[in-house]
Amino acid sequence: MDHAALLRSSPPAGDVTDEQSALNSAALQSVPIWARQIDTARRQTEDAIVALTSRFAGTVNRLEKMLGQDSRSSSQQAKEASRENESDLTLVVDALKAIQKSRDELATDIRTLAGYTDELRKMASDVESIAFQTNMLALNAAIEAAHAGTAGQGFAVVAHEVRNLSTAARDTGKRIAQKVGAVSEALVKIGSSSERLSERDQKAVKASEDRIQSVLGRFAANAARLEHVAEESRTQSAQIKGEIGEALVQLQFQDRVGQILTQVVSTMNDVRTAKGAQEHMQKMLGSYTTEEQRRNHQGLAAEDVAPQEVTFF
Amino acid sequence: MGKRILVVDDSASVRTVAGIALREAGYEVLEAANGQEGLSRLNGERIHLVISDVNMPVLDGIGFLKEIKKHPSYKFTPVIMLTTEAGEDKKAEGRAAGAKAWIVKPFQPKVLLDAVSKLCMA
Repeated sequence: MDHAALLRSSPPAGDVTDEQSALNSAALQSVPIWARQIDTARRQTEDAIVALTSRFAGTVNRLEKMLGQDSRSSSQQAKEASRENESDLTLVVDALKAIQKSRDELATDIRTLAGYTDELRKMASDVESIAFQTNMLALNAAIEAAHAGTAGQGFAVVAHEVRNLSTAARDTGKRIAQKVGAVSEALVKIGSSSERLSERDQKAVKASEDRIQSVLGRFAANAARLEHVAEESRTQSAQIKGEIGEALVQLQFQDRVGQILTQVVSTMNDVRTAKGAQEHMQKMLGSYTTEEQRRNHQGLAAEDVAPQEVTFF
Repeated sequence: MGKRILVVDDSASVRTVAGIALREAGYEVLEAANGQEGLSRLNGERIHLVISDVNMPVLDGIGFLKEIKKHPSYKFTPVIMLTTEAGEDKKAEGRAAGAKAWIVKPFQPKVLLDAVSKLCMA
C-alpha cells in the first residue's frame, strides 16, 4: 500500500476542546518519558539477546569441536588397542602351545628310550646264558684234562682260566641286567612324570587360552559400549547443536523488535516538535522498515513474519 | 583458505547467526556494525562477497552499496541485502544500486548459504 492510501486510513484530527487540551498537555509531558522507557527496554532486550546469542554461539562452537575427531578417535583407538591386544595375546598362547609340543616330543622320546631297555635286558640275559654254557664247557674240559693225566695238565690250566672268565662274564651280565633294570625303572618314572606334566600343561594352556579369550571378550564389549556411548553422545550433541541453531534463527526477532522500538522512540520524540498531525503521520509512514509496522499503522493485525525465499536480481 | 565474506549489520545477533552458518560452511567471515565500518573493513582486503543490512545507523545499506559500486576494486563484488524490508520499492532501490540478491529477515541459514554459494560461483 502506498503512503497516500495509508494516510487516508489514519485517524482524522478533531476540534480541540479544553479536555482535549489537558489531555494533549499530559500526553506531551508523558511522551518523552515513554520514549525513554521504551528505549531503555529496547536496549536491555538488545543487550540480553546479544549476550544470549554469544553464549549460544560459544556453545555451538564447543559442540562443533566435540563433534569433531576426538570422540570418534577415542573409540577407534579402543578398537585398535583391542585388535593389538588380541594379536599379542594370541602370540603368548602360541608360545605356550609350542612349549607344550616340545614337552610332548620329549615324552615320546623317553617312551622310545624305555623300549630299548627291554632289548638291553635280553642282551644281558644272553650274556649270562653264554657265560653259563662257557662255564659248563670249561668244566667238561677240566674233566677231560684230568682223564688225560700228565698230558692234560696244561689243558687243565686253560680250562680253569676259561671257567674264571665265564664266571666273570656271568657276573658282568648280572650287573648289566641290574643297571638296565634301574635305568628302565627311572625311564618309566620320568615317562609317567612327563606325561603328568604334559597333561597339566595342556590344561594350563587351555585355561590360559580361555582366560585370554574372556579378557579379550570383556575388552571388546567395553570398546563396543564406549563406541555406543560416543555415538549416543555425538547424536545428542548434533541434536542440541541443531536446536541451538534453530533458537539462534528465532533470536533474530530482536532485530525486528529493535527497529520497531527505535522507530517508536524516534516518532515520540518528534511529536513535541511536530507542526501538524498530517505532517507527523507522513513522517511516521516514511520511517517504517517492516511490514508489520505499516499494518499496525492501518489498524490491521500484524501477521507473524516467516522466513522467506531469496529474491535474485 | 575459504572465500572471504563481509557481513555488515547493526544487529550483533544477526551477525552472529550469519557468521556461524558461513564459518560452518567453510567461509572466512569479517564483520562490521554499519556501512561506514563496512567500508573501513574493505580497506584493500580481498572480499569475495558482501552481505549487508539496509537500515543501519551512520551509513545505511543502500548508501554502503552505492559506495562499494564506486570502488574500482569492489564494483564487481556481489552484494546480498539482508533486511527486514520486504517492500517492492525498497527491493527496486537495492537492485538499482547494484545488489544481486534480497533476503528478508528472519532468514533460514540454508537460504543464505544457498544464495552465497550461487553468487560466489557466478
